[in-house]
Amino acid sequence: MTTRPLPRGTGAMRRTTGLFILLALLCLPWADIAVHTLAPGRELGRLAQGLLWPQWPTTRTLADAIASTLAFAFQGVALGAIAGFGLALLYRRRAVRWLAASLRAVHELFWALLFIQLFGLSALAGVLAIAVPYAGIFAKVYGELLEETDPAPRQALPANAGRLSSLMFTTLPQAWPNLAAYTRYRLECGIRSSAVLGFIGLPTLGYHLESLLRQGFYAEAAPFFYALLILIATQHRWCRGWMIPAMLLAALWWLPPVAPVNGALIWQFLTHDIVPAPLRSGMDALPWFMDLWQGQLWPGLINTLVLAMLSLVVMGLLGVMLFPTVSRLFGNRWTRGLSHGVLVILRSLPEYLLAFIALILLGPSMLPAIIALGLHNGAIIAHLIGQYSNTLVLRDDAARGLNRYFFEVLPRQFRLFLAFSLYRFETVIRETAILGMLGIPTLGFFIDSAFAEFRFDRAVMLLVASAVLNIAVDSFARRIRQRLHLQHKVQVC
Amino acid sequence: MTGFRLQQAALTVGGQAVLHDLDITIRPGERVALLGESGAGKTTLLRALREQQPNCIAWCPQQPGLVPVLSVFHNLYMGRLDQYATAYNLLNLIRPTPARRREVTALANRLGLGDQLWKPVEQLSGGQQSRINLGRALYQQRSIFIGDEPVSAIDERQGADLLALVCDLHETVVLALHNVDQALAHCNRIIGIRDGRVAFDSPSDQLTSADIKPLYPSDAS
Amino acid sequence: MNRITKTLCISVTALLAPAVLADTFVFTAIPDQDERRLTERFGKIADYLEQQLGVDVQYIPVKSYSAAVSAFRSDQVQMAWFGGLTGVQARQLVPGSQAIAQGVEDTAFTSYFIAHESTGLAPADALTDALRGKSFTFGSKGSTSGRLMPEFYLREQFGEAPETLFNRVGFSGDHSRTIALVESGAYDVGAVNYAVWDAGVEAGDIDTDAVQVIWETPAYPDYQWTIRGDADARFGDGFTQRVQQALLDMTDPDLLTAFPRSGFIPATNADYAPIEATAVTIGIMDAQ
Repeated sequence: MTTRPLPRGTGAMRRTTGLFILLALLCLPWADIAVHTLAPGRELGRLAQGLLWPQWPTTRTLADAIASTLAFAFQGVALGAIAGFGLALLYRRRAVRWLAASLRAVHELFWALLFIQLFGLSALAGVLAIAVPYAGIFAKVYGELLEETDPAPRQALPANAGRLSSLMFTTLPQAWPNLAAYTRYRLECGIRSSAVLGFIGLPTLGYHLESLLRQGFYAEAAPFFYALLILIATQHRWCRGWMIPAMLLAALWWLPPVAPVNGALIWQFLTHDIVPAPLRSGMDALPWFMDLWQGQLWPGLINTLVLAMLSLVVMGLLGVMLFPTVSRLFGNRWTRGLSHGVLVILRSLPEYLLAFIALILLGPSMLPAIIALGLHNGAIIAHLIGQYSNTLVLRDDAARGLNRYFFEVLPRQFRLFLAFSLYRFETVIRETAILGMLGIPTLGFFIDSAFAEFRFDRAVMLLVASAVLNIAVDSFARRIRQRLHLQHKVQVC
Repeated sequence: MTGFRLQQAALTVGGQAVLHDLDITIRPGERVALLGESGAGKTTLLRALREQQPNCIAWCPQQPGLVPVLSVFHNLYMGRLDQYATAYNLLNLIRPTPARRREVTALANRLGLGDQLWKPVEQLSGGQQSRINLGRALYQQRSIFIGDEPVSAIDERQGADLLALVCDLHETVVLALHNVDQALAHCNRIIGIRDGRVAFDSPSDQLTSADIKPLYPSDAS
Repeated sequence: MNRITKTLCISVTALLAPAVLADTFVFTAIPDQDERRLTERFGKIADYLEQQLGVDVQYIPVKSYSAAVSAFRSDQVQMAWFGGLTGVQARQLVPGSQAIAQGVEDTAFTSYFIAHESTGLAPADALTDALRGKSFTFGSKGSTSGRLMPEFYLREQFGEAPETLFNRVGFSGDHSRTIALVESGAYDVGAVNYAVWDAGVEAGDIDTDAVQVIWETPAYPDYQWTIRGDADARFGDGFTQRVQQALLDMTDPDLLTAFPRSGFIPATNADYAPIEATAVTIGIMDAQ
């Protein structure tokens, strides 16, 4: 090869890290970070009091909300997995890859806002809101898992073995354990997504959480909060084997995914409502678009990027600082246990909910969003690196404490850390957009406004912009990974 | 059925020529062994032969290519995926039918795997996996057998038995082998490959060890 | 309807069970105050209408102003207690629907601008430059008294958008929350529905030492009942008129405090033309 060798190794990794930190620092002047409540301490005290002395709703209300949360999650993930598997079989085709990328580039909350316009506030709208973006994610991950299977059994088959037989006998059994593990992980995400759909009106745990937290009724919100936490944290214990199909059937019984389908309404939405206003009325499109660009698209894009960059760096810092607390190379059983508990809570709660709580405590600025995204994603990174660091074998006379951390462990884990962080980049930017619904003027804020004003043409335009941004960030992160040779397989990241 | 015919052929792997000037004709009824160092191009030649009539050939690759999580039964059954309807294949994947169960059990017994029929193959030894690989090809029940080192991971005595079985069940047999004695014992024609060309091609009863030795220059010491 | 189905209907899951609702007249209301009390407020109205109309009537709560309009648009509810702006939006999205009744107070509704005591802002006859650089919260993005009219008067007075006038602009979601946010000092100034404020002060829920009214907008038309145009076709000829009569006949103070209004009078779509014009002026609606 005559091309100059790609930069790799520690030098390039250090430069990339430095670049990200530099970019975040450059973003700081544009970031609106300030505490705006006069007495955040008092609000925090009320929150703590509420969490310690919960006020129980009727069993019926709580049970309803839990059942609906699970029902949306199971149906949405199941439908997404089936559709995603179908797409994964065709994942070699460029058109399919693009389709999958666009489906997952739009957040489930936005899909929900769209489907609510088509099917009303119905079970079908909620199920599709989870299923559609998840299909895009499943298509990608399933596609990669299927591709990674050993081709030898396929090649050893008789020449005319049918495609389906060949898939069922060779590819699928090989990929099965990975497919199943990933699907189970997605189910956990599905419960989170389902809870968050409550924030816009579907009757899940988030429905009550949002109302009660927003109005400051912390004691009444606490039971719903604990229910969500327990549901996600224990999911891997009860969600296995025959429970999965049983739960799916129960979900279909509890919330049949039907909707009052109104053909005229759907037709009007697709042919009229989402067509840009000037095209409908024959006016000049340019001023309309420029207005949208200057007032919403451009500021939305900038705020989204600023928030994402800052969150990414906070996430990285927290990840690097927290992983030793769950690693067997540091601390003792008690500190690790405690830290595990904290990380599980931070991982389990949806970012949206974390930001919502931070917003109540700190007042409206970018700060709550940065904290929420940093904490949630930082906890995930810390957990993953902590796990991997347990596989390190240090020599018996290796240094201890900070010396061990800086000389023995961090250098060995840094490549992994960078790989995980870059994988999280796309997630962060996706979540950044929806945090706009809490009032931080990212693209999501303007999308929410457009839906509140029933201007679906603007909403669709903004959604497309946010999807393009997500795809661009994803491919940017992938390129950096390739450049740094960080091709670590991280499916659960 | 017809035989195989390569005329002035050059075979390439990944754009690089591996074998040149091949003139080989294999007639029905012949039992041919390919000899040569590893990397000489035996596998490439076998693949080229397979491509000539893929649907008439029982194919036994060097890499066992088994599906680790599936049972011995299913890995053997896979030899016939092309002969049954897809729905029937799927039925057998979930719940083997009595007829197939009988056939595969008989085959497994001949392979010495009767006791392991329902174990996932990942739990079996390398030698046992090799036998399943061979068994899958046998289960295809074709008239031509092409095998790439089919018994190399199996102990010599059992290997000899299985080669005899292969020759019994197929009209035409083409094998790549590294065990010269096995080649001489089971095949009636030997093709020696060296430096990308056919070094010799003659009936086995006209060959001696001395003729074969030059094929393996790196064994000279 | 037996008691169990009735309970089911006022749970939030009710909206997702279309089969139950096939021949039921369903209505909703914009969630402009404490969401825990919505069912309590409007459940009684459902009972009253059921009695008056002789058909099954059901109230279902929704999460936001826009959710109320969406439910109306997709025919999941046939009638709604809308604000001025949501009503205009709903009638634009569902051609043929009409405003049939408004509260006595709704012909001349107003908004209060409220301020935290730390700002030093005092009650005045006009909005002054002292507001510049403060933080400001509206109610819901789709609220008439909490967003549309306050923004209109801000723009009229200062000739610029709220985003440039204030150092921070937020949307609290509803009136109760606006009051709570300004009361706690999270925002300096806010705009709120006068009826919600007055009721809160009367009930002693508001700390008037921490927050006070500094300005009142001129009057404008606000809340109204809007019904879908196909209601007669579904529930029988003259149904719309019977619903209107039932609303006008509502005199029980216990029922009226739910809104809170002293009574209902007829309304028409034309009554809300000024609201629509204002929405177009401040750029949250496209001219039709």
